[in-house]
Amino acid sequence: MTMNSEYSRPIPSWRFWVPLLFQTALIITVPTQAIYTTLTGKTVILQTAPVDPYELLRGYSQTLRYDISNQDNLRNLPGWKKLPKEQPNGNKVTFIKPGTRFYVILEAPDSSNSTKLPIAWKPVSLSAQFPSRLPANQIPLKGVANYGSIEYGLETYYMPEDQREQINQELNSARPQNSNLPISPPPIVMEIKVDAQGNALPIGIWALVSKDFQQQIRNYRF
Amino acid sequence: MPSDKFRHQLRQEAQQWQTEGLIDPGLYAQLAERYQFSDLEVAARNRFVVILLVLGSLLLGLGMITFVAANWQAWSRWLKVTLLMSVFFGINIAGFYLWRDLTQGWHCRLGQGLLLLGALTLGANIALMSQMFHQSGPLYQLYLIWGLGVLAMAYSLRLTLLGMLAMVLIGLGYVQGMSQPEFLAITELSWLRVMIEHMPVFAGLVFIPLAYWCRSRWMFRLSVIAVVAALEWHLINFELWPYPGLIAAIACALPPAWLWSYRDFLGTIQPNLQEFNTTARTLAITFLSLSFYFLSFHVLWDSSPSVKPLVDVTSILLEPAVIDSLILGSLTIWAWSRLLRRVDSTTNVVATMIVISALVPYWHLSIGILPIIAVFIFNLLLFLIDIGLIRAGLAEGKRGLFWGGMVLLTLQILTRMLEYDTGLLVKSIVLFLCGLGIIGAGLWFERYLKSEL
Repeated sequence: MTMNSEYSRPIPSWRFWVPLLFQTALIITVPTQAIYTTLTGKTVILQTAPVDPYELLRGYSQTLRYDISNQDNLRNLPGWKKLPKEQPNGNKVTFIKPGTRFYVILEAPDSSNSTKLPIAWKPVSLSAQFPSRLPANQIPLKGVANYGSIEYGLETYYMPEDQREQINQELNSARPQNSNLPISPPPIVMEIKVDAQGNALPIGIWALVSKDFQQQIRNYRF
Repeated sequence: MPSDKFRHQLRQEAQQWQTEGLIDPGLYAQLAERYQFSDLEVAARNRFVVILLVLGSLLLGLGMITFVAANWQAWSRWLKVTLLMSVFFGINIAGFYLWRDLTQGWHCRLGQGLLLLGALTLGANIALMSQMFHQSGPLYQLYLIWGLGVLAMAYSLRLTLLGMLAMVLIGLGYVQGMSQPEFLAITELSWLRVMIEHMPVFAGLVFIPLAYWCRSRWMFRLSVIAVVAALEWHLINFELWPYPGLIAAIACALPPAWLWSYRDFLGTIQPNLQEFNTTARTLAITFLSLSFYFLSFHVLWDSSPSVKPLVDVTSILLEPAVIDSLILGSLTIWAWSRLLRRVDSTTNVVATMIVISALVPYWHLSIGILPIIAVFIFNLLLFLIDIGLIRAGLAEGKRGLFWGGMVLLTLQILTRMLEYDTGLLVKSIVLFLCGLGIIGAGLWFERYLKSEL
């Protein structure tokens, strides 16, 4: 199988070390990007969207959605009209063309109340290009349009099973018992870091839970 | 040195000959020295030690995996990273230095196994890292990056095993990426996108040289199949839009033309690897037989195909496919211009077949439908290949060619019989005749081969 025996002398070591270093670089690229975003990024809070009412997190990997994942919630923002659109067959509603990469500009809330959940940032405009100048309280977040939704690379998580079960239990108890109420945003927000290029990384979940009939703020770190 | 089994038997026999007086003790000593009978016990003991070692390390490895699985969630992220990296380095380094040691055969084999394991660890590491740091990406990117990493090692160490693994990984990444409708979109790494879009050329530029470098005929076969399959997939993916006739003609004619003329465009580089040229020609004939068989069904030609309207993805994919076809096409034309300087009759026949197989679909899709003529032409072409293979098998005394032709001929007859609505009696007669024909021809051919010898 090998042509190893053809060599009169052993293969020089560099022929092993160079590709090994290349492979190492491939492995390290993944955490490097994450560490860069963690170190240099700005903390941003995102409102999660209502999901399965019984279990927020399930399965081996978990999927989360945000308010800004839904294209309907961005339709009225400035910049929407300039993005390339697609009209699905027989549908009057237009969507951003799948595959379009663009930036959602988020604005920090005015004040933060320390006794309550951190307040989520609000989307203020959309831009196809990287926005060059923004006020200090705004930040661009990179997203890619999918069919009807937008992905930010913040959708999938892996969490240990026991931690996941605990979170689910606590979040379920936080849910209002009266199911006749209209669906309100869940009392769960996501803390992320966004770096200068608009790449995001999840940091943790903030949730309002009730334990022994008392409401508490819980913070789960990833 | 002959195998251990033979030496064992020889020692037994020699001892018997000595006791029977057939050979004298001097001769026995000579035999014992020549075949090193004294080493036999040592070799057996060594093998036993190796088996114990392998068994022990398997158990150790399983224990370690279980230990890691039990504590995985409790450990901090940095501990996990350190652990993953040390496993990756440990396996690869041990593998390389064992493999490099040429003095012991089993060192080399064990090292190769470890290097293969190291290549698998690379993928596991990339996947687990992206999971730990919540950097989720599409699966095809993992396969492609992993494949490229393994490919680098395969090139550098000239290891066929790793090269095969890299090809499988890149192939998986390609299939995943192509079947993902929004694959153009979600990707962050646009160079991976370029790689998928230009897979025919990429496979030709990267896999085929590796096959030469490793001198592996199997790898060459796989590389060529990768080039042709990727090209066909790209062309067919448009549903033959926007120039149906032209694209169908290219899809039918370019692969066999390229493969048949392969000798004249790369074959001269490595004169001692002439067998690759034969392999390329065999694959050209295989491609022709398969495409003729496929095109000989009348369903394909009954109606004019519905022309699909322009889809966005199509237009994005069209450009790379056209570029790749142009690159491969111009190389092929150049090779044919050299090939046609010294024509032989087989090349003439193959060239005619390729031209016809390009013209008929072109005519059918661009000028006017050819329901009956096309079916007739492709059946005739397939029949000619069958006969040609059988004839070549007879002339050169090659069993593979003869039987390939026989099987193809039978397949053709049976398919036509099942395709057209024939009565049971006719079916039974055809089956009967085919069976008789195969048995008769086979027996005759084997006797013919013997008489030739």
